[in-house]
Amino acid sequence: MKLQKETARKLIRDAIISVFIYAFPVVLMFLVFYISGHKPWLKNETRTVQKQIKNQQP
Amino acid sequence: MVKFIESLFHNLSLWGLPVIMIITGIIEFGLGLYENKWNKNERILDIVCFVVPKVLIRPAIVYFTLLALPVILPGFKGVFSWVPFWWAFFIIAIADDLTQYWYHRLHHQVPWLWRFHRTHHSAPYMGMAMASRQNLLYTIFFSQIYLTAALTYLGLGYAALFVTGLKSLITTAAHSSIKWDKPFYSKRWLHPIAWVLERLISTPATHHAHHADSSNDGVGYYKGNFGNMFFIWDIIFGTGIITRKYPAAYGTKAYKNEEWYAQFLWPVFKSRKEGSELSVTGPIVADELPENTDHQFKREPGYESLPNALTRLS
Repeated sequence: MKLQKETARKLIRDAIISVFIYAFPVVLMFLVFYISGHKPWLKNETRTVQKQIKNQQP
Repeated sequence: MVKFIESLFHNLSLWGLPVIMIITGIIEFGLGLYENKWNKNERILDIVCFVVPKVLIRPAIVYFTLLALPVILPGFKGVFSWVPFWWAFFIIAIADDLTQYWYHRLHHQVPWLWRFHRTHHSAPYMGMAMASRQNLLYTIFFSQIYLTAALTYLGLGYAALFVTGLKSLITTAAHSSIKWDKPFYSKRWLHPIAWVLERLISTPATHHAHHADSSNDGVGYYKGNFGNMFFIWDIIFGTGIITRKYPAAYGTKAYKNEEWYAQFLWPVFKSRKEGSELSVTGPIVADELPENTDHQFKREPGYESLPNALTRLS
């Protein structure tokens, strides 16, 4: 039994739309960060550097 | 309060959900909701499917997360741990559930995949007994588990705990033979909530329709309603039907009460039942496949699925 042509067409069409849905929350998050000027990844970097310094101290 | 909710979801992921399922299952059984259809073959299959994945799958995921991912993605551990909680929750909820929607839909619409998912649909009843009923290979290749494990490795693990907990509760409740959503349809003042609820998440009405043995009575719709936690994917892709009714019969017309081991371990073990989809000489799909998953959707006036709207505009 083969996959029907119409079903295959819909699967491909919906898969392409899904790529945008997957990307949507990530894009929206960065858009909100861009608008608000919020940069949470810098806070994380600072924390990592502080941790490294602490580890290096005797 | 946060600590309490955190421990609640932590316990839910460890032992809470199986306990909830067992208690709910006993209540369902006590209320006679299995209608004497839970025979010996069904009982063994349901119990094996409930126990074995919990013993086998969890160690496999731990192995994948702790050993395989550092090799596949070296140096990426925790790189996205800076993502704020609610954003991480939003990202995982969509990534996990949309992946499961696809995994599920493909097993219905691609003929050679159907027999890996058939075991879940062969149950002639709804309820906790059949909620975990799956072929072993279907469970092992449950794609979204590995995606969520990867996102956990990348630093979104805390949010994953809540998403997976919430998802388990919603999907389990949608399989229950206790029709908890009925008051939302019968009481007029609850209709606005029902409207949102049935479009956002899977409910017994929409998910029972997916488990109906017929797609021709205007209530059952095993050719669609693929959503697991979110029903919104079926709305977007036009693969859903909302009727606020429950099917008269569950299962699949081609069911031949195949041996529990054949249903659990096909294609390793085949069924001896003549003409069975799980037998050596049986058909791949006994029932006809969906030709057009859009045409039976009971739409609101003016409704148009997103893909159809895009096609029309292009």
